[in-house]
Amino acid sequence: MLILGIESATMQAGCALIDHEGVLASVHVARGRRHAELLAPAISFACDQAGVSLTDVCAVAVDVGPGLFTGLRVGIATGKAIAAALRVPMIGISSLDLLAFPARFSGRRIAAVIDARRGELFYAFYRHVPGGVQRLGDPVVGSPEELQSEILATPEEQLLVGDGAARYAHLFADLANVELADQGLEHPSAVSLVQLAHAQALREEWQQPWEVAPLYLRAPDAEINWSVRNEVGR
Amino acid sequence: MVHAHTASVAETRELAAVVAGLVAPGDVVVLAGELGAGKTAFAQGFGAALGITEPIVSPTFTIARQYAGRLALHHLDVYRLEHLNEALDLGLAEVLDEGAVALIEWGDVIVPVLGADYLEVRIEYGDADDDRRFAFAPQGPAWAARKRALGEALAPWDAAGPDVPSGGATTC
Repeated sequence: MLILGIESATMQAGCALIDHEGVLASVHVARGRRHAELLAPAISFACDQAGVSLTDVCAVAVDVGPGLFTGLRVGIATGKAIAAALRVPMIGISSLDLLAFPARFSGRRIAAVIDARRGELFYAFYRHVPGGVQRLGDPVVGSPEELQSEILATPEEQLLVGDGAARYAHLFADLANVELADQGLEHPSAVSLVQLAHAQALREEWQQPWEVAPLYLRAPDAEINWSVRNEVGR
Repeated sequence: MVHAHTASVAETRELAAVVAGLVAPGDVVVLAGELGAGKTAFAQGFGAALGITEPIVSPTFTIARQYAGRLALHHLDVYRLEHLNEALDLGLAEVLDEGAVALIEWGDVIVPVLGADYLEVRIEYGDADDDRRFAFAPQGPAWAARKRALGEALAPWDAAGPDVPSGGATTC
């Protein structure tokens, strides 16, 4: 079962391919915000180098965020387009899960932290379980100071991963029970995405392309109150 | 709340240029007012003062247009959006974090996703055809710090008098 993964939740964007033998190929680029220009050629390159055809893909996995909206929009739209064209199902996975997963060999509590910009962070806590990580509670959006308070309130040893932790490293570096991961764990990876998606695929946990939507976290999706616009048309 | 008054489209552009002189990277300026009130004219004066040379046109049908100037300007029009999540899809936090300025027509309806700091500019029709009344409502600490400077800069346009509109703006 060949699965294509598309990840574009942060400054980095990438793709990866996995089948029953393991990860076949991955491409990641962390320069700039040119996700729209990057993803299609990267997918084509990964397929060519892995010696597979895009038409062999049985499922498309996407990172559904939270993260940067311009990037997520490109990645999710690309994934939906490929899944719809190939008539294959999709698997949506949270960016924070992808960040925490490579840190699964640590016994510490893990905080996966993505820079939401303008002084806000998306974050969630995880703990090590056999074969992976388990999320402790829902992902939230909050200020760096709020995250710092939550970390201070927990006596356990903690590992911070993600570009949000790196950006506000000065708030966390001096805390006694905290270690900051290095650059290798700064962005969610398409490799983690296809690894987690492969496990879900074996459990047949599919989504249809029209069911996949980005995680916003910031505000409830309210309808805009257009009383102003309605008055104009009256 | 700071008030101003203009008597022509040209004056509206001049007024907007003065406001543009006060903005900093990452700022949000919200334009509120009926169709034809002069939101796009304001945007044109605002953009020209930021050193943008290409023509600024209404982004109603494209929702967002980007211009390069002394500061990058993202000119948005949210008139065609139906849900707040669509406003999040614009990726405003990202461009503002990178030092751009956002000018958002009809932005008063997406205030829940704008963050604490923004300047609301409400434009209303005045007595004569080309008369416009402006109410500036600075919101959040970043704009509170510039409230006095804004008042001083706009003093020449002040429409002090009993007919000053209260607008729909909230406290400032």
